[in-house]
Amino acid sequence: MLSLSVNGQSYPVDVPDDMPLLWVLRDVIGLTGTKFGCGIAQCGACTVHLDGQAVRSCVLPVGAIGQRAITTIEVIGNTPAGQKIQQAWLDVDVVQCGYCQSGQIMSAAALLARTPNPTDADIDTAMSGNICRCATYVRIRAAIKQAATGKAQVPQTMVSAPEGAAS
Amino acid sequence: MIRFLIVVVVIVLLGVGAYLYLNRADHSDGTSPALAGAPASAAVLARGEYLTRAADCAACHTVPGSGKNYAGGVAFRLPFGTIYSSNITADETNGIGSWTDDEFVHALHDGIGKHGEHLYPAFPYTSYTALSRADVLAIKAYLFSLPKISQPNRRNDLSFPYNQRWTLGFWNAAFFKNRRFQPDASQSSQWNSGKYLATALGHCDECHTPRNVAFAMDHAQELSGEMLQGWHAYNITSDPVHGIGAWSDSDIASYLTTGHANGRGSASGPMAEAVENSLRFLQPADTGALITYLRSVPARAGKDPITVDTKPAPTLASSATAPAGDAHADTAGFKLFEGACASCHQWNGKGQQTPYASLLGTRGVNDVHGINVTQILLQGSSLRGENADVFMPRFGDAYSNTEIAALANYVIAHFGNKQGTVTPDDVAERRKQL
Repeated sequence: MLSLSVNGQSYPVDVPDDMPLLWVLRDVIGLTGTKFGCGIAQCGACTVHLDGQAVRSCVLPVGAIGQRAITTIEVIGNTPAGQKIQQAWLDVDVVQCGYCQSGQIMSAAALLARTPNPTDADIDTAMSGNICRCATYVRIRAAIKQAATGKAQVPQTMVSAPEGAAS
Repeated sequence: MIRFLIVVVVIVLLGVGAYLYLNRADHSDGTSPALAGAPASAAVLARGEYLTRAADCAACHTVPGSGKNYAGGVAFRLPFGTIYSSNITADETNGIGSWTDDEFVHALHDGIGKHGEHLYPAFPYTSYTALSRADVLAIKAYLFSLPKISQPNRRNDLSFPYNQRWTLGFWNAAFFKNRRFQPDASQSSQWNSGKYLATALGHCDECHTPRNVAFAMDHAQELSGEMLQGWHAYNITSDPVHGIGAWSDSDIASYLTTGHANGRGSASGPMAEAVENSLRFLQPADTGALITYLRSVPARAGKDPITVDTKPAPTLASSATAPAGDAHADTAGFKLFEGACASCHQWNGKGQQTPYASLLGTRGVNDVHGINVTQILLQGSSLRGENADVFMPRFGDAYSNTEIAALANYVIAHFGNKQGTVTPDDVAERRKQL
């Protein structure tokens, strides 16, 4: 029996060591905010944080995690960087179909946490592993800059607090 | 005319005599040095299981993932055609269930099948000839204790003259030394056990020793590395620069038992299989013996020697998440790595999913020809062991030859600090071997 630390809670899970974390999160623990996209670490939809670093959970065997802290989209709004990113996402109205967005937000939040004022090149490097079928890239870049600087980058379409975010 | 005939007869007799002399067999049973995992006192099936694993019979006789253990059918694509391994389960019709002890020993010691036919040296009788009869029969007993699988053998697909088995008699005459293991009294018992493991049971030489034009092992270059089935089996001599002379004992032990040694590399392809099926089952004392022997193998540079840059400037200049130090940061290879690879391997080469994803210090990224890097990109990599279940997805279907070549060269530049020479044509060649 493995014990995983997910979103500050400890979960005992009875799964094979080689089961990818994504399966455990969605099917065993029931946290379905993290999405399955390609299953081979190529689309970024399954991105979660492991000790604050963005990782692709679809290729991460749970046996390799140990006691490292897993953070998912469900609670990223509780971190300062995640809160800023989610607010900017709403203000800029990044989302279209939304399928890739939990992964986009996780990658962006990890970027902002380590690089508070990212350049375009920093954004490219951090975000190029996350692909978006609706091509929301332009607004993703704008939202990351807005989250970093606090200054509106593009016309704001919505001003509200994300649901369930800590104030 | 008569004189001419006499000359012909004499030449023929000399030829036959030379053929027979060079093909003389060692009929002794031989003895094996002590192995911790297969003591003489143990039950024959327990010994057989350990020896079968150490001899890695599964590598060639089990199609990975098929679940049909030892039923054969693994394809070996050679320059002159394809050989398929045979069913060695105890099935009477399709396997070796009807083979007598002597017939089984004849195959392993002499390279001759049940019906007197020459076996192709893809079956490493060239190494197994050194096994003791007791060990060979323990292996047979173990194989015969397993479920019978009635999978028919697949015909080899070889071009003329390679499909003529009798020609192997001449190959054997020239290159095969039929001889049981000869212990060296001047060496420690550990060294002797290690040599038996490396050269006879584990047959490391079959992949790691260079081959000559006739595809026979060049023992003067023992273990200095060779290309086989599109993979580079690296130099594992004691050479500190090109071999594993600089590796610590614990590095080598870790690599053999887990498939990974920090800062040295992770096993992929055929070596990952060897770890998975064979090496990880060795008892620590036997692994130690193997290391003792490998340490004694004379240092050789081998062909296409690889020099590992342990402090590659671009890698060291980078952080885990941000690249730096690349001469050309805006290339296709860079972009591909950024999007597809960095999230697991990281720019500083440390690897974040698992230590196996670490690229720093590996020979793969320091090989300017990018042989194994190309293979891993095309086929992915996987290694399942007791404490390791690691895999990398394959990119062969996702990327073109040009993209794979660009990515390989970028990886070589960034993590090996060298100019890679992989071309799209090279990648196309590799694909043919998949």
